[in-house]
Amino acid sequence: MKKFILNLIIGFGFTTMVMAQATMGDVLIKNGTVLSITNGTLENTDVLIEDGKISQIGQNLSDPGNVEIVDATGMFVMPGIIDAHSHIAGTSINEGTSQVTAEVSMEDVVNPLDVSIYRALAGGVTSIHLMHGSANVIGGQNETLKLRYGTMNPDDLRFEGAPRTIKFALGENPTRGGRRRGIQPQTRMGVEAMIRNSFNDAIEYRKAWNQYNANRSSRKVAPEYDLRMETIVDILEGKILVHSHSYRADEIYMLMSVFSDFGIEKLTFQHANEAYKVAPELAAFGASASIFSDWWAYKLEVYYSTAYNAAILTNNGVNTSINSDSGELIRHLFHEAAKSQKYGGLSDNEALALITLNPAMQLGIENRVGSIDEGKDGDIAIFDKHPLSIYAIPQMTFVDGVKYFDINNDIADQRIMVDPESTIEDVVIFNREDHEICMLEENLVDLYELFNEEN
Amino acid sequence: MKLLRKLTFRLLLLLSFLMVSIQSHAQSDPTGSSPATTTYAITNATIVPSPGIKIEGGTIIISDGLITDVGINVTIPAYAEVIDGTDHYVYAGFIDGMSNTGAKRPEAMERPDNLFTPDPPNDYAGITPEISVVEQLDLDESSIANLRKIGFTISHSVPHGKMLPGKGALILLRDGEHPDDVILKQEVSLLSQFVGAPGAYPGNTLGIMAKWRNLYKNAELSKRHSEMYASNPAGIVRPSQDRVLQAFYPVVDRSQPVFYNAKGMLEARRALSLQREMGFNLAFGNLEQAWPLINDLDKSSVSVFMSLNLPEEPETADNEDLSEEVAQLQARRVEFYNRHMNQFDALNNAGISFGFSTMGVSASKIKKNIVAMQDFGFDSAEALATLTTNAAAILGISNIAGTLEAGKLGNAVVTTGPYFNDESNVKIVFVDGYKYDYEIKESSSTEVSDEIANDVLGTWDYNAISPQGEISGTIIFTDETGELTGTINSAQGMYADVLLSNISYREGTLTFDYTIDFGGQSMELIVTGDIIGSDLEGEISVPAFSTSFPVSATKKDPN
Amino acid sequence: MRHLQMITSVLIALLFVNEAYSQTQIARQARADKFALTNATIYTVTNGVIENGTIVINNGVIEAVGSNVTIPSDALVIDYDGREIYPGMIDSGTQLGLVEIGSIAEAQDNREFGDIKPQMEALTAVNPNSVSIPVTRVSGVTTVITAPSGGVLPGIAATINLFGYTTDQMFAGSKGLVINFPNSGRRWRQSKEEAEKARERALKTLNETWDKAEVYAKVLASEDSRYYPEMDAIARVINGELKAYIEVNAAKDILSAIDWVQEKELRDVVFTGVSEGWRVAEEIAESGIPVITGPILSVPTRQSDSYDAAYKNPGIMQQAGIKVALRTNDSENSRNLPYNAGFAASYGMGREEALKAITINAAEIMGLENEIGSIEVGKKANLFIATGDPFETSTQILDVFIDGYQIPMTSRQTELYDEFLNRVPGLNLNPVTTDQ
Repeated sequence: MKKFILNLIIGFGFTTMVMAQATMGDVLIKNGTVLSITNGTLENTDVLIEDGKISQIGQNLSDPGNVEIVDATGMFVMPGIIDAHSHIAGTSINEGTSQVTAEVSMEDVVNPLDVSIYRALAGGVTSIHLMHGSANVIGGQNETLKLRYGTMNPDDLRFEGAPRTIKFALGENPTRGGRRRGIQPQTRMGVEAMIRNSFNDAIEYRKAWNQYNANRSSRKVAPEYDLRMETIVDILEGKILVHSHSYRADEIYMLMSVFSDFGIEKLTFQHANEAYKVAPELAAFGASASIFSDWWAYKLEVYYSTAYNAAILTNNGVNTSINSDSGELIRHLFHEAAKSQKYGGLSDNEALALITLNPAMQLGIENRVGSIDEGKDGDIAIFDKHPLSIYAIPQMTFVDGVKYFDINNDIADQRIMVDPESTIEDVVIFNREDHEICMLEENLVDLYELFNEEN
Repeated sequence: MKLLRKLTFRLLLLLSFLMVSIQSHAQSDPTGSSPATTTYAITNATIVPSPGIKIEGGTIIISDGLITDVGINVTIPAYAEVIDGTDHYVYAGFIDGMSNTGAKRPEAMERPDNLFTPDPPNDYAGITPEISVVEQLDLDESSIANLRKIGFTISHSVPHGKMLPGKGALILLRDGEHPDDVILKQEVSLLSQFVGAPGAYPGNTLGIMAKWRNLYKNAELSKRHSEMYASNPAGIVRPSQDRVLQAFYPVVDRSQPVFYNAKGMLEARRALSLQREMGFNLAFGNLEQAWPLINDLDKSSVSVFMSLNLPEEPETADNEDLSEEVAQLQARRVEFYNRHMNQFDALNNAGISFGFSTMGVSASKIKKNIVAMQDFGFDSAEALATLTTNAAAILGISNIAGTLEAGKLGNAVVTTGPYFNDESNVKIVFVDGYKYDYEIKESSSTEVSDEIANDVLGTWDYNAISPQGEISGTIIFTDETGELTGTINSAQGMYADVLLSNISYREGTLTFDYTIDFGGQSMELIVTGDIIGSDLEGEISVPAFSTSFPVSATKKDPN
Repeated sequence: MRHLQMITSVLIALLFVNEAYSQTQIARQARADKFALTNATIYTVTNGVIENGTIVINNGVIEAVGSNVTIPSDALVIDYDGREIYPGMIDSGTQLGLVEIGSIAEAQDNREFGDIKPQMEALTAVNPNSVSIPVTRVSGVTTVITAPSGGVLPGIAATINLFGYTTDQMFAGSKGLVINFPNSGRRWRQSKEEAEKARERALKTLNETWDKAEVYAKVLASEDSRYYPEMDAIARVINGELKAYIEVNAAKDILSAIDWVQEKELRDVVFTGVSEGWRVAEEIAESGIPVITGPILSVPTRQSDSYDAAYKNPGIMQQAGIKVALRTNDSENSRNLPYNAGFAASYGMGREEALKAITINAAEIMGLENEIGSIEVGKKANLFIATGDPFETSTQILDVFIDGYQIPMTSRQTELYDEFLNRVPGLNLNPVTTDQ
């Protein structure tokens, strides 16, 4: 009994960690095969991380002293994996009571206590894009996070400096909501109309405030403040990156047309199962796609998918990433990326880019992460075999040079907080459908779903 | 004609004033309930005027609503009722940081037929910051008497509601004819909680946070507009009279704090974010998990009332058969139980002064919980401070309450031994100078009236047909704790052993309500029924979905 | 719009029919022939690995296997240039053919209404022309169990080969009664109380129904027995004519299920699901009951479990002496079976055992060990040819044989790839505009 308590004390030391601001670490990873993404594969190469940043990459680097040394001989060192579509680590997912909710933000619902975070780290993931749900045409703002597991403070997970992003949703999810509630939109036509209306409303709003600000006499009364309109104005001015849940080729094309009309240049399509059908158009617009490796047939709008989506898009010059949208899939994104070799023969580097540099670009954080380059953050995943092999097992995961996962120091119970009144044996039998929050997003006139805070 | 009416009106007004003044100075009381004297002297007691100070063999005089003297050699007025306080302790009356004491939950709003969920009416959405708890006060509410019985004399009472239920007031836990009789101070707080609109915007935390920011910002603009207009309206469009925004004005100018009913650590952090962004004065009214936040509480100037709702101590089976895994899981539960219990001491060590709140705890558990804290480094002096001086300081009433000092309100608790001992009982409570006696019983079973014992106590099998299907199960009423309590089960597995609240039985009609967890959201059900013999016929109403349906129940034969 | 499309398709089809196709192979048709697959590394599963091997296929079965096989003169010889040949993979748990589109009720036929419906035959509802079937078989999965779901007794699962135009052509010869054992674990959004009540209800239903069926089974032989299809189906299990697939996952429930099986004296029983099998592996091994488990790519059942609990599950069970087969429990992505097996292999099961878990073990569990599951003379010619280890995603599947037919290596997904890799027209910079 005492031994167990001792284990507890040693093992759970991290739970008492208090991070005033994100901890930065130092580590020297020696002699691994470095998959840099931007500079090819570097054999027998060291990576030195100091104060959370990659300071040096080279062979036989000298130990600056007082730095933890990791012997990566025979192992593969890649950039920490980035999941561009996730719903873990959040206490609410969807404010589904309105079809336009640009004003809400996932930063208000970050949950650092989710064990899924640790399990993602155990799959080599270091950053995620915590997204709003897909029930609304214009959904809420998303939050880019780093998986600094072990803290009770949600602010510690924020990816400082990451650009603002927002969720749009097209197709069956929002139209189903409209049909249930007896309001627009109930068709894809209505979805487009709602987006155009919202943009035009925002332009009016901006005009009113610009007029007020231009002539600021002390006797002028300010117009009404509307956080929703403020946010949409920011979208129009390119200050917020739009990530739109979408499936069908025609709605993907529609959104690009709408965005062209309003002068919005940056756009990433999420899921985009039929993106391959409009690959040339996506490439011409400069839009990106963040897709599944092979999920399909769960709804009518994905019935005509192909697992060759990633290969077709990549070959047509579209920046493509593979995401999970699932607390289960996130744990083996390296395997999901590897499927692009089976379906379309992407090269090793192309496949790895799908889960590193490409999603980093889609989130606007490519100057910080997504490759192993001097100056970038020390977000690293180490595998015992090449990550694209089915037999690869993640060994260690670093965020900002701090080790958050080590397979040799892994305890089963990784919960940060335990309810003293919980039962010892709480078995939950998962069904496939339980993970696909985004995909089968039930609409919120079903009162049960509506009130569901906890996912 | 008009003149006559005016005169009549004025006459009536005059008469009513006279009547009021007659009543307050009435000498004759046919009911016999008026006290013989309004001056009391408790002698030879151990008096604890403030935490850490003891006066052995002391005397305290409470007269006409105030404490007039405390000490050893105190002159006892001739007209005083003298109470022998030998072997008794006297403390300043306890102060409850936040609860719904005295407030009756209003009938739920019906869901409008053409509800436009993205933009519901404010009152339906629960955005009613302009409402005062005074409107909900019902002096027949048993909560007042229940809290008083365990030594509380002042309660910061807040209204029932959803996201922004309204303004709180400090009330004295005494009897009265009219709610105005118990009000000590009004408009002391703006209550906020993370409770969404039923089926409308804002539905959950996401919408609530955004709505808050929007309301606050617009309140700032509207206030500025109103001030500008008030100083010189010429040429300015008239300001909106939006009552919701107006309710925020005192919060915007920092004269009124926001009291957040955030229990868990994460909810508390969301509230702290809002405070950081907008700068209003924030108090946590009912915080359960402070221990993960101590550093942040330390740095901010947030006031804290800790919830008296403590977790049950986890069982630890200690047999040899236990697998390593189960032993570890048990140990983890204990670890977090300890952290919760240790947090009161931890807060003190961090120099964070806090009070207690009784929201959501049944009065019978409160003393037990406070006593339990003493096993975790939180001694009785600290507990007393939390119940009295700290709370008074946070609520801004230190000059009139919190200690036993001449000149302060006549609020005191007299116990048969140190309050914080298990065995001691509350004998007398003074509120606003009124004396309330309590009988100490060996077993605590006669608190419940014979009528209730006869008609209500027992196990009932109930059956109701709701729009969603059959609901059935058992309701058990007992009086083991000395007061009428009840629990309800659902045979369909929707809920088990849910504690009933606001149980009242009057003239054959039983009412109670209970709250269940419906998919992560609290849903309240209110039951009203008439009891005839061992049959109950009535109605269950579900305010959240504005629906009600009939229910019937039969009391089981105990044999 | 739909009508117009239909008419157009019919017209186009008619056009094609007029062409003479007797000699040329229609791209989408399977090829029937006597085959000699030569110059391959053959993974027989039961008899080791044969280098430079040849397989002769005739009349749907394997006529010869070896490194020194005489190739019949009338055989169509395919030289595989050193590639690898494996037995067709078997997915021991799917809804393939029963579920076409997950969110549309009209496109799902696996879940009938009611709690007690053991007579529902999954086989009859399988759509042989489901789009998912070609998508699955081009990845080397040739045989699956497809099962009904919902309630306590959902119906009868069947094993099908993924080739055929009628369910009789597809039926592989094995069926089993599915029993959803009362579940003490909860579903994701269920509260503990709800779960407990549901479990009690299910247990009551199961026991009452089974007791009734035991009586019925005895009465069955007599002339007076009434037609009671639900009892009929269960009686076949009681009388040993039909095997039972018992879906059970929580550790506590597995132990209860073992007791239940022994109490009811059922011989031919398989446990399916078994997510927490690793916790009670010894007890399962002792009972002799085989296990079908999966998906391996799954989250642990408990928040306090290690992240790789599901990955390690099959390996732990296999090492305790349990016969383990793997399933994806999927409908449209059964093609991921080899990757589930790959993870099981990496996390303790090892390549060899993982391969057995999706070939011979599955066949043995289904009672089809004389028909499929390995490359042996006399067995059905269900096999695939791969450029390498089928568990690796870099491997391509070159050819698939089912029942001796060479399957067209196309599916809607490959066709979409062909059409859209280099779309014609590509980006049309000068779109045609109309005056309207």
